[in-house]
Amino acid sequence: MKKFLFALLLITTTLFASNLQTEEKIYALIIHTLLPDNQKIKVWGDTPHNKEILQNITDLQLVESPKDANFLLLDNNSSIETNALIFVTNYKILEKMQKSAIGGFFWQKGRPNILFLRKNLQKKNIQLPKSMQDFVEDEI
Amino acid sequence: MRYLTKLYYIIFFSILFAITYLFIQTSKTQTVLNNNVEKIIIQEAETFAKNIATNLKKHLKNDPYTELKTDKTLRQHLESSLEIINNETFKYIFVLYKDNHGNYRFLLDGSKEKAFFNQRLNVDKEVWDSVYTEKKPHILDQNKLDGLWITYLYPVIINNKTKAIIAIDFSKELPKNIYTAIEPLNNIFSYIFIAITFLILILIYQTFLSLKSKKESITDPLTQTYNRNYMRELLQKINIDAYQIMMCDIDYFKHINDNYGHKAGDEVLTKTAHILNTEIRPEDILIRFGGEEFLIFIKRHKKQDNLAYNIAQRIRKKVEETHFNYEDKEIHITLSIGITCQPEHFKSIAEAIKHADEMLYIAKREGRNTVVSTTTHTTKKVQKSDKKTINEVKEALEEKRIICYFQPIFETQSQKILKYEALVRLREKDGSITPPAAFLENVMYTNIYNDLTKTVLESVFEHIQKRQVSISINLNFSDILDNTIYQLIIDELQSHKSDAPWLIVELLEYEILSETSELVKERLMKIKSFGVKIAIDDFGSGYSNYTMFQALPIDILKIDGSLIKDLDRSKTSRILTESIVLLAKELGIRTVAEFVHSKEILEEVKRLNIDEAQGFYLAKPQAEIDA
Repeated sequence: MKKFLFALLLITTTLFASNLQTEEKIYALIIHTLLPDNQKIKVWGDTPHNKEILQNITDLQLVESPKDANFLLLDNNSSIETNALIFVTNYKILEKMQKSAIGGFFWQKGRPNILFLRKNLQKKNIQLPKSMQDFVEDEI
Repeated sequence: MRYLTKLYYIIFFSILFAITYLFIQTSKTQTVLNNNVEKIIIQEAETFAKNIATNLKKHLKNDPYTELKTDKTLRQHLESSLEIINNETFKYIFVLYKDNHGNYRFLLDGSKEKAFFNQRLNVDKEVWDSVYTEKKPHILDQNKLDGLWITYLYPVIINNKTKAIIAIDFSKELPKNIYTAIEPLNNIFSYIFIAITFLILILIYQTFLSLKSKKESITDPLTQTYNRNYMRELLQKINIDAYQIMMCDIDYFKHINDNYGHKAGDEVLTKTAHILNTEIRPEDILIRFGGEEFLIFIKRHKKQDNLAYNIAQRIRKKVEETHFNYEDKEIHITLSIGITCQPEHFKSIAEAIKHADEMLYIAKREGRNTVVSTTTHTTKKVQKSDKKTINEVKEALEEKRIICYFQPIFETQSQKILKYEALVRLREKDGSITPPAAFLENVMYTNIYNDLTKTVLESVFEHIQKRQVSISINLNFSDILDNTIYQLIIDELQSHKSDAPWLIVELLEYEILSETSELVKERLMKIKSFGVKIAIDDFGSGYSNYTMFQALPIDILKIDGSLIKDLDRSKTSRILTESIVLLAKELGIRTVAEFVHSKEILEEVKRLNIDEAQGFYLAKPQAEIDA
């Protein structure tokens, strides 16, 4: 059911909202799924676009430095050493950062695509809900 | 004007209908165009997909994933063949296979921004799986995705197994371009509909203003009742048979204005109108007829005679019991009401209203705060003078009980009967005879009077035909002026042309002559043209005017009975009669003496050289003319 709801969210948000709004909703869902217990999630983005997205999501605190954040949204390859969860916005970057990134969200052939990397999820001891398990990849 | 308005409506709605029809047809055409374009594009995609599948099958033997993973050159070659198809319409062309986990992954990508080999793509698995299992192409509507219109899915079947799916994504640009091309046409319709809506709003507003102004023009601003303008319109269309007419007047209203001021008068008028409005029913019509006069049309069903009377009594009592307060002053008023119970008997509505006004006048005369209707008034008079009601006269006419008596008129010197005067009578059911004074007055302004005149004329002509004797009938000058009666006389003369010269018309009521003598003269000349003789009745009394000799074609002068009956006793009567006779002789007009009731009078008549005489001494009116 949850899987269906998630798919429905993907479809309806893409139907009725702009891409930016769609992304905001998807990221909000992803972040709250990955960090369910955090009262105040501190986030950081490496591009103005990513920052804008994070800023528009409620209950998130956009921080100045990636070191203060517990969720990073990256558009570029990065060697930041952090315990924060890294999520990327590009398949190529996900491939390059497959050791550190937890997953990625990007548009492929006009379709929204989400990927989670199993190994990194396990490393961070994150158990995804069933609705999202369909997006888990063993490797890329 | 009404037809013109209808024509405008027809034109307006025809245009509206035509535009709506055109709009629907254009919309249909647009849909058909879209569908056809979609069909053509899908057919094209199908051809491409078939070719791609054939090409793939040519190069791939059994396992496309393994073969393409190992042979990068083949991959590039096949992708370049996909790229050829890629254009503005076909946005993405790619080939996916289904892995062991049921996920779809790239084998080939013909797009500019290429996906990685074996990269996973999130797709609508349910649809893709159905293509995989059913091995049939599928058209997937992609309106949910931004930038995509349709995805055409085509299975690549090798060894009777679906090994991959070719996906061709149609760009949204094409339908967008079609829409953009048709948009000006849609806009034209939008502008037309906006203009029509605006026009309709203006029309509604204009109608509202027109109705408002119309209402104001027919409403009395003080009492908010209808005014005379409305009455004029009403009289054109009203079926008077369905109403009784009530005329109400506030008694001593001038005293209220004089004692309390005009504002108090206005207040009393407003409150009285309110009472009238509450006491009558919705189907009744209240009109402010004049200053303090109100006219009410009481709707009646099944000819209820007492309906208006009962309502009038209720109104009268209510007004009498009401305390009108104005600036701490208490004003008491009463109403006098006159009613026409049977307006259908009158020649016109105006006559029926006039009659209600006459009844009101009687109510005033009888002490005010009273209701007088035709029925009640007549009943009172019956007790006093045995007057007949309109209905009784009507009934008598229908039962042929309106008859003529004939009084002989003698040649004075020879005392031979020269002619007769027809005198109308009503024969009662018991056979007794009622004189005209008892029934003529009540029917004077009604249609019954016309029927009565016709009956008398027919009876007279019947006797003329039978006896070949001169007979005179009595008419008023007002009858000659009345178009209906005049026409009736002419019609009767036309149908009895040969007997017409035996007829004599005696005329009364000279007072109306001054204003209408020309028309009277013209009509009398017409009557005379049939050979009819014209006599002036009761000359020498009332409004007798010598100028009538100049104005009218007179043949006979009947000297008034009040002069004749005193000839033996009054010198003045003798002198006056003598001068009338002299004048008549000079003018060549024959004279007749009425009321010859004794031998002495007859002798005087002879002495004065009056040509003809009639009276009880000579002969009484009789039912038949002697042979």
